[in-house]
Amino acid sequence: MTPNGAAIFVIVILAGALAASEPIGFLLLYAVIAAFARFELGARTFAALLRSALIVLPLAVFMIMVWVGFVGRSPAEIAAGVPGTRVAAATYVAVVCLRLFLIVLVIQLVALRFDRLTPLQFICALRIPATAKRLLALTLSLTETLRHAVERARTALIAAGVITRRPSLRNIVNGWMLVQTVWLSAITIAVGRMRDKWPIEGTIGRLDDLFQRADPQRLGDGDAIWLLLGIGAAVFGIGIGIA
Amino acid sequence: MARQLISGPNFSGRSEALRARLISRGPAFFIGPYAEAALSGLASTVADELTVYRADTARRRRPFAALDLATCADRKPQTLSGGEQVLLALQCFAQSKYRAVGIDTALEQLDGGNRADAIAFLSRLDACEVTLIDNRMAVAPADWANIACAPKASAFVCDLAGLIADLGPRAAPRIVIRDLDFSYRRGADVFAGAGLTLEPGHAYRLFGRNGAGKTTLLKILVGVLAPGRGDIWLGDRPYAPWRHGNAAFALATQNPDHQWCGATLREDVERRRSAAKLGLDTQALLAASRKLGLTSLDQHLYELPLAARKRLSWLWPLSGVMPWIMLDEPTVGQDRDTCGALAAALASFCRLGYGVVFVTHDDEFAAQVPHNIVTIENRRTSVS
Amino acid sequence: MFTTPRLVLIALCAALNVAVGSIVYLLKLPIYLDSIGIILCALLLASERWAGFVCASVAGTISCVIIFLLVNPFFIWFEMTVLAIALVSVLLTARFTALFRSRPLPHGTFAAIVLLCGVVTGVVSAIVSAPVVAYLFGGVTGSGSAFVVAFFLKTGEQLFKAVLLSGLAADPVDKVLQVLFAALLYRATPADFIAMLETPATTSAAGAA
Repeated sequence: MTPNGAAIFVIVILAGALAASEPIGFLLLYAVIAAFARFELGARTFAALLRSALIVLPLAVFMIMVWVGFVGRSPAEIAAGVPGTRVAAATYVAVVCLRLFLIVLVIQLVALRFDRLTPLQFICALRIPATAKRLLALTLSLTETLRHAVERARTALIAAGVITRRPSLRNIVNGWMLVQTVWLSAITIAVGRMRDKWPIEGTIGRLDDLFQRADPQRLGDGDAIWLLLGIGAAVFGIGIGIA
Repeated sequence: MARQLISGPNFSGRSEALRARLISRGPAFFIGPYAEAALSGLASTVADELTVYRADTARRRRPFAALDLATCADRKPQTLSGGEQVLLALQCFAQSKYRAVGIDTALEQLDGGNRADAIAFLSRLDACEVTLIDNRMAVAPADWANIACAPKASAFVCDLAGLIADLGPRAAPRIVIRDLDFSYRRGADVFAGAGLTLEPGHAYRLFGRNGAGKTTLLKILVGVLAPGRGDIWLGDRPYAPWRHGNAAFALATQNPDHQWCGATLREDVERRRSAAKLGLDTQALLAASRKLGLTSLDQHLYELPLAARKRLSWLWPLSGVMPWIMLDEPTVGQDRDTCGALAAALASFCRLGYGVVFVTHDDEFAAQVPHNIVTIENRRTSVS
Repeated sequence: MFTTPRLVLIALCAALNVAVGSIVYLLKLPIYLDSIGIILCALLLASERWAGFVCASVAGTISCVIIFLLVNPFFIWFEMTVLAIALVSVLLTARFTALFRSRPLPHGTFAAIVLLCGVVTGVVSAIVSAPVVAYLFGGVTGSGSAFVVAFFLKTGEQLFKAVLLSGLAADPVDKVLQVLFAALLYRATPADFIAMLETPATTSAAGAA
């Protein structure tokens, strides 16, 4: 599978997940995802499942607490003005969580599928306009800059005793200082690059050269198979909902 | 092609002159003092950083390979030590098609061997213009031109002797480290069974190649990093700053921007003072900051020139608030007169009973401070 | 419009939204703190309103997409709220940049202005978000404000009204905090970075004035 095919595949599955309303619509999408995981990731699927569960499970528990435990009826029953049941509320929560898990899982699977590529390599492989590639590369690089700034700020504030390594009340009270220090650190890094390194070298131009030299892969047979399966499942799910 | 050294004291316009030369020359490779000016900022791995600059994958025109790419290709460039980042930048330049390079004090972060290799590499480049600022070069090498920048009246006059004139004696506690193990996540061991005793009233120079673990040891002592195993004793009490906070060390980091706690000096000092519950008053701190060239506590720290920020980063360690003073590469970007004054100040601290630990590749600076050498090698430490 | 410094600003503000907003979301607090970057972007580009609106909106949209993909699968549907916050920030909050950077800071005036801007931003945000929360998600988006919605539902309110009341109760408080943090970050930002964001046209117009 190519990065371009994977990006389109994610969009198709997301669209299908957001549009499907009946459980059987989700069933087909889940089947396609399961096949994708089996053939494209193999044993590494478990890592994606675990990460997805860690994201969605707390949300599911929270929604059960609110809808089933506290409210005790589903939104449709509230709108109809009927007393409602906790079973209906639980069904509603289940449908929402199925949708959310599908969205999160497909993203985790694709991310793991291409985790051997660096972000720059992944961007080079995409068939998108050069401006979009540049913005994507800058965003990802500045995310790294921000992570680096967090590390620098932590070093400064821990060494000065303003915050602690471990969770503490002091960290909650002084958390604002960490945010400010991270922001200043990130700005200083960015200013240093924009004032000196980048204008002298034309570094952003180096990025454009790199994108031009790269040869984005065309969609292949592997992509076509997954895209057709994904589109088929999404269309079926939407159709079932309409019917 | 031209090779030139721009010399002069701090604030004489050297960096501006370097920048102007490079811009007039056309696209040129630039290596500034710290990561944000040495690396592109566009790559998330060392391999990608090299890819950004590679001119031609079929051949290398100017071989320079100081970094072992087999072990660090997948690492994030920001996780390399300061010296390793400079080596990476030189390697990127070696593979690029730039025909000019400017280096602003970055070579000062290299250990002796790497520094000699880098200067030799720059000296033998053909069809390439090299412009260098380097405070450790007293005279330009043979075949290099010297461009002297005249001193200017500066607002950042430094009076280190005056800064410590009012300090009294201090009985710093002895530091004992035993069986220290440390490794970064997914990395090789930095320390394995390392041990060390630091006596008060003495200065210690941490010595080792780039990436040996010098800064790592400093970070363990202030509690930023937690060792996997080991005991540290502060006098006769166990000391675990990664659990209980830093109680003894005032650290000036290699990059001064790694240690600010606020946007202005007033914010920075108030937060440290509050955290450390110290009684140091504002007037005393203002007087101290004036000795380091600052005139207002409300001056925005990040709007100061880098060399001024570097000096200001010594305020907390040299104000005597903590019994142990730690300086990580304090002389990078500082002219020889300032380095001499700093050396004299550190010697004075030792005579007063403070403990001093410093990291430097500048042998001339180190020679001015009577010290013991702590060599970090093969994951262990030894004192001589 | 999209100079390199502004692209850097957009990316930094987006990253700020993602970082702070994700932490608050995971802690299930009844606030959001996921738009500090939008407001800050508008403040930093106060000299050019249209550029400020566009850049703040782009930053908000990028953070929306990232949070949707990585943390909160509900988030993509609040794009209109992002645009609304950007608009209010540019038209109202960005008028007070001189106050936010004044030294010494007049605490009383500062607090009053932050309160005003935060409340207005919060009310607008609540009104724009209410239909999405009520009709797409039945009142529960996974954030801590769902507790407030549930409380109102339990007291017998209809869904839309419960969501609106919850929003009007929580959003102004949240947005006052966000305006406060954005103003303090703006105050701490070095002047040379702000100067880099201005285009030559803005600089010469300011000079001529």
